[in-house]
Amino acid sequence: MVKKLLKPLASLKLSVVIFALSMFLILAGTLAQVHDGIWTVVDDYFRSLSVTIPLQLFVPQDIAKIPGAIWFPGGLTLGVAMLVNLIAAHTVRFKFRKKRIGIILTHLGVILLLVGEFVTGFAAQEGNMTIREGETVNFVEDIRTSEIAIVDQSMPSEDLVVVIPQRQLAKKNAKISHGLLPFTIAIDEWMPNSQILGPMQDQHDRKGRADSGMARELAAFPVPRANGVDGATVDAPSAYVTLSKGDRQLGTYLLSLFVNQPQAVEVDGKMYWISMRFKRTYKPYSLYLEDFKHDLFTGTQMARNYSSQVRLIDRNRNVDREVLIYMNHPLRHAGETFYQASFLQDDAGTVLQVVKNPGWLIPYVSSGLITLGMLIHFGIRLVPALRRRS
Amino acid sequence: MKVVQQFLPWVVFVFALFYAGQKVVNPDQIESQYNLSAFREIPVSAGGRTKPLDTVARNSLMNMSGRQSLKTEDGQISAIEWYIELITDPDKSVSRRVFRIDHPDVLAMLGLQDEDRTRFSFSEIIEHGDEINKQAGDAFAVKAKARDPFQRAVLVLNQRLMLYSRLSQMKEPYLVPPLRIGEDWREFVTVLTENPGDPDALALLRMLQNYRNQDAEKFNKSMLEFNQLIESQIPSEARKARYEVIYNQAQPFITATVLYVMAFLLGCFGMLTSQSSKSGLSKALFANMTSLILVAFIVQTIGILSRIYLQGRPPVTNLYSSAVFIGWFAAILGLIIDRQMKLGLGGIMASAIGFGTLIVAHNLGSSGDTMEMMQAVLDTNFWLATHVVVVTIGYSATFFAGFLATAYVLLGVFTPTLDRERGKSLSKMIYGVICFATLMSFVGTVLGGIWADQSWGRFWGWDPKENGAALIVLMNLLILHARWGGMVKDRGVAVLAISGNIVTAWSWFGTNMLGVGLHSYGFTNSAVFWIMVFVISQLALMAIGMVPLQIWRSKFARVPTPPAAKPTTTSPTG
Repeated sequence: MVKKLLKPLASLKLSVVIFALSMFLILAGTLAQVHDGIWTVVDDYFRSLSVTIPLQLFVPQDIAKIPGAIWFPGGLTLGVAMLVNLIAAHTVRFKFRKKRIGIILTHLGVILLLVGEFVTGFAAQEGNMTIREGETVNFVEDIRTSEIAIVDQSMPSEDLVVVIPQRQLAKKNAKISHGLLPFTIAIDEWMPNSQILGPMQDQHDRKGRADSGMARELAAFPVPRANGVDGATVDAPSAYVTLSKGDRQLGTYLLSLFVNQPQAVEVDGKMYWISMRFKRTYKPYSLYLEDFKHDLFTGTQMARNYSSQVRLIDRNRNVDREVLIYMNHPLRHAGETFYQASFLQDDAGTVLQVVKNPGWLIPYVSSGLITLGMLIHFGIRLVPALRRRS
Repeated sequence: MKVVQQFLPWVVFVFALFYAGQKVVNPDQIESQYNLSAFREIPVSAGGRTKPLDTVARNSLMNMSGRQSLKTEDGQISAIEWYIELITDPDKSVSRRVFRIDHPDVLAMLGLQDEDRTRFSFSEIIEHGDEINKQAGDAFAVKAKARDPFQRAVLVLNQRLMLYSRLSQMKEPYLVPPLRIGEDWREFVTVLTENPGDPDALALLRMLQNYRNQDAEKFNKSMLEFNQLIESQIPSEARKARYEVIYNQAQPFITATVLYVMAFLLGCFGMLTSQSSKSGLSKALFANMTSLILVAFIVQTIGILSRIYLQGRPPVTNLYSSAVFIGWFAAILGLIIDRQMKLGLGGIMASAIGFGTLIVAHNLGSSGDTMEMMQAVLDTNFWLATHVVVVTIGYSATFFAGFLATAYVLLGVFTPTLDRERGKSLSKMIYGVICFATLMSFVGTVLGGIWADQSWGRFWGWDPKENGAALIVLMNLLILHARWGGMVKDRGVAVLAISGNIVTAWSWFGTNMLGVGLHSYGFTNSAVFWIMVFVISQLALMAIGMVPLQIWRSKFARVPTPPAAKPTTTSPTG
């Protein structure tokens, strides 16, 4: 009975259709990267149930303008379909024979590979650690999300930090208050990506819109979200916010990732420091950057190597040691991996990518299985066939 | 007659070997009383790599003029003669016509539109230096993809002028060797000013002065002295540099290209005669074709091994070497297939791919050093040797299946050559190569994933090149499953395999056109056009392959096909 129901799901025709659809999706998802950032594309195309693909993707804009878009199953849908197809096929046709062991191993590996990609999609976390030479950092930044932080430094041993996450900022006419803060924060305008103009530039109607704080001479303008093509892959959000205490306005501030330092807000003689920054996750360990090196090939501007000499300190685990992190040689610690990813201007510091992927081992196992399975299958079937020929 | 038929392939083999080896045994002598043969072997450092002056001179001239030698009023001069004149007698050198300019607007800008030639001298161009500077500045401010052909041409000219001045001022290459192993190469002029007593710089200076004073005897003497210094300071680099000069002279890939063309022609004649009564002739032609391919393969192998020795790297390090490697591996596949099934098609397709990929390589290599240093992230021999090599073998095999399928379609539709048995065995070859291609492209892709996980923490990142590799794997899987499910038969497999060519070309080149992602290195502009031509030709072949079987000239198709083979069965017929 079950087998009868499964039979249409187990067909090879379905497999072929899924392959063809996947190929189209991958092609579209590749072309889409010309205009959209890789992360947008991964979320929209490969980790989604469905995606609307603009037809313009397939024709360069300067050849013809093509309107319209088509609906298409997303990577998640196709992945699940492939999984169902495979499992159904083996349920319906399962018959353990020596001849089929290669196929079974291969398909087991494919199932695992798909599961691994799901695990990565849902559970993997990536962040950055930006450390200047001589500095210690104990948090990871998510450069795809920002937050507003208000810091109260009045306590002697630690700071009180109130953080407003990005999803709160993006709400229309958001007004935020918190028990630890004597003032409310109204988000006048939220710009997911922005550019900043200085006092000598033409700021149009935004001149003087911020009337308080360090950045009042500056003006922010919204710009389209970053994509991979322009080289800038990171959004730099800004926001105009108005702080009030009761009915009294304290002032309008421009908060932006472009403004490096927190701005002071004084309320009833007490100082608060407010800033826009990448979303931080604090860690039980810290890294101290002793030296960042950026070697060039003799007589060229071409990079030969990037390396970061760091000191890893983790009191909980009783770890305090020197590590050299460089290309193709990451540091693994506490389930996280630290890779040399980038560096600051003038080689003043390093940017490490920090990845936590509980499923990182799955692809290794699954691809081992698939390779073994294919070797056995083609070995069993193909080699004798060729031999008989000759 | 039979004896002739048996021995001719051996004779061809030996002759082809001689042809290939003549340049090595008997290198181009420079007719000069100056010992330039020694001069061109001097190791220097350019682009981060130690190489002989010969390579620098050839590549620079190639970059500027598109040729490795120079035509002058007093006859042809070699790259090294041009180079030594450039650094010792710049006043004379500025009138050498080394800059190739094609764009009419650029020519008009320089006031050269009425000249009936395409190569111009530095002095002709530099009169308009300010205008070039301004235009190059404007062009540079435009994003690379948005530049129009004029802007691109101006930037190319500007880059060539800069190269020219760096060379003539001896800022590039670094000429003064490290005093001890492990130290860095040094810039000639800097050393002379900062450390006037430096023995290497002084010896070099004496040598160049003697050349400038046209004193051949003294030049040759100072040349020997400088050589001794180098031999004592950096013996292994000196040895490599000498070898590289031999490699430059021998031009193994050009020799292989010629041999592949001849092999291809022989194979085609063999195919044409195979159906007639003269099938003995056809066999003989195939045997001689195999001889030529063997020699081409040997020459190409030596070329690849030479690059491995010179670079200290696995065989595939950039697009250029991937092209060479694809052709090389196709030759292996072709030779094996022809041994298995004596149809001659393996050789024909191997020589077609060998010829095609070497032409691609030749064009990719025309802009500079083909052994440039690796970007930091790619600087790992282990992954270059595993991931890159296996993926490239996957490309090669997928192409091979596609080319065999092309033969299936063309022979089937336009000639009566394919009888039932031949059609079946050709189809089986295609199938076998696809199985191999699936395995290789999958393993190669996975190795790439492992590299990615090791070096930036992401097994799979949906980067364009990764996606391209996944497309090849999926394409091959699609063909296999369609065949196993009985959805396509021999002809369908062939048509699908041709579309595999498009997918592979996309993965190999197309993704580099997008200019996004970690793999977007090494892309050239005119490649877009040729890729389009290739894609359209493959689509046309697929269309031809889909014409009704009644129209096919090969008779096998008209016989009703037997019931579909059971899924996953590959039992041979006949």
